[in-house]
Amino acid sequence: MRSMDFAAALDDAMADMARRVQRCLVVVHDGQRGAGAGVVWRSGGYIVTNHHVVAYGRSSAHEGLQIILPDNRQLQARVLAQAPHYDLALLKVEADDLVPALLADSRGMRVGQMVFAVGHPWGQRGFVTAGVISGLGMAETENGHGPVPIIRSDVLLQPGNSGGSLVNASGGVLGVNTMIVGGDQGVAIPSHVVEAFVSQAIGER
Amino acid sequence: MSDANNPLIALSDAMAAAVEKAAAAAVTVNARRRMPASGVAYAADLILTAEHVVERDDDIGVVLPDGSAFAASVAGRDTGSDLALLRLERPLAALAEPASQAARVGQMVLALGRPGSEGIQASLGIVSAIGGPVRTGRGGLLEQYLRTDAIPYPGFSGGPLVDASGRVVGINTSGLARGASLSIPAALAWRLADTLAKHGHIRRGFLGVRSQPVAIPPAQQSALGRQQASGLLLVGVESGSPAEAGGLLVGDIIVAIAGQPVTDPDELLASLAGDVVGKPLPVEVLRGGQPATIKVTIGER
Repeated sequence: MRSMDFAAALDDAMADMARRVQRCLVVVHDGQRGAGAGVVWRSGGYIVTNHHVVAYGRSSAHEGLQIILPDNRQLQARVLAQAPHYDLALLKVEADDLVPALLADSRGMRVGQMVFAVGHPWGQRGFVTAGVISGLGMAETENGHGPVPIIRSDVLLQPGNSGGSLVNASGGVLGVNTMIVGGDQGVAIPSHVVEAFVSQAIGER
Repeated sequence: MSDANNPLIALSDAMAAAVEKAAAAAVTVNARRRMPASGVAYAADLILTAEHVVERDDDIGVVLPDGSAFAASVAGRDTGSDLALLRLERPLAALAEPASQAARVGQMVLALGRPGSEGIQASLGIVSAIGGPVRTGRGGLLEQYLRTDAIPYPGFSGGPLVDASGRVVGINTSGLARGASLSIPAALAWRLADTLAKHGHIRRGFLGVRSQPVAIPPAQQSALGRQQASGLLLVGVESGSPAEAGGLLVGDIIVAIAGQPVTDPDELLASLAGDVVGKPLPVEVLRGGQPATIKVTIGER
């Protein structure tokens, strides 16, 4: 009986975590055929996604970018800042009622802890995938910015997971999933790196 | 729900703690040209790893969890079970702890490896199946193996498969079963490692016969006192072999060795896989339709 209670409580905790995380997850449409995910990072309409989700296939960085919220509202977005070496972009929408994600301290991570990737693989909205942190390390980037810290996980990332969140067991965002590097491991940029990028981008303006 | 009684957080913390515990006894093994592999601290000066990752006898390096690197030598190896023991000049701080209970299908497990300087790596899965005995394609027979759905990342061979408390339930390898990943159950791996530490190789029994399975008619089953539908017909006995010395003849049908039924060639191999070399074992046969028991002193292959 005790194990049944534990299993039921575990199910509840999983469902709580998924709901909390899905509230802060948006769809990012590049105005053509491509789509990825985005995370509401700060109140005031600041959304983080992958650089590669917004960078390609458009003549201008400020044209045709659309955000779809969990309640299906569609908003125009503009690109505030880009960091191609981290595969990050910061978007801004004119809406002040978006719920920002709970951020976790990605410097206290441990290999083996449970993580969940949330995104829109193959267009399936708010898809949650479970796994563990499989490794913590550095990855070389293409354009000579040197190695960047990354979180490796055994979560299977697919097209549409890009720009979505990697969260811990309490739903705190540990990182932003990306598909630029990593081979057969899922790779995320740690949230402390994302936070530094966002602060700098907002502070500079 | 508060974090203090959130079972998902408790489970996550437990798994991270399991990795931390097992990681203290998981090392990097540099003994092949390209990809480093993994190993576990088996005894004070011995590392247990996969045999297929030890491609050379000299210039073998082991990197401990604290990053310190040491030379190692081969203390024993067995291609049939894909296990090797490496000897270090320096005592190891933490030893891997094998699980006291056998693995169960459905049990949560973590596959671990330390293939490089980035530190320990892990992937989560469950025990999907327990199988065996299986011919390993390298002249050996593995009594039992574990299959899991954990992802075997490059360099995980020789690393531990651990349970949620960080105890070792198996040793991972992709060197058996044509590259498919499986795990050698800890109890079996530790037993084989014990033999490797003593003798440097695994002693496998040798009989010296060629055989094929044949049906045993009901009348002869009752004469044997065994409900056993098949046995092994001897179609050849090597000259100078233990079988010849013991008196086995072409035409005999082997039905049991040391009391264990033998119905096909795999069971014959399994009966010779234990610690049987040099021991006289009773071999039950049908000779001319009549049961007979012949003592054969098992040789070494």
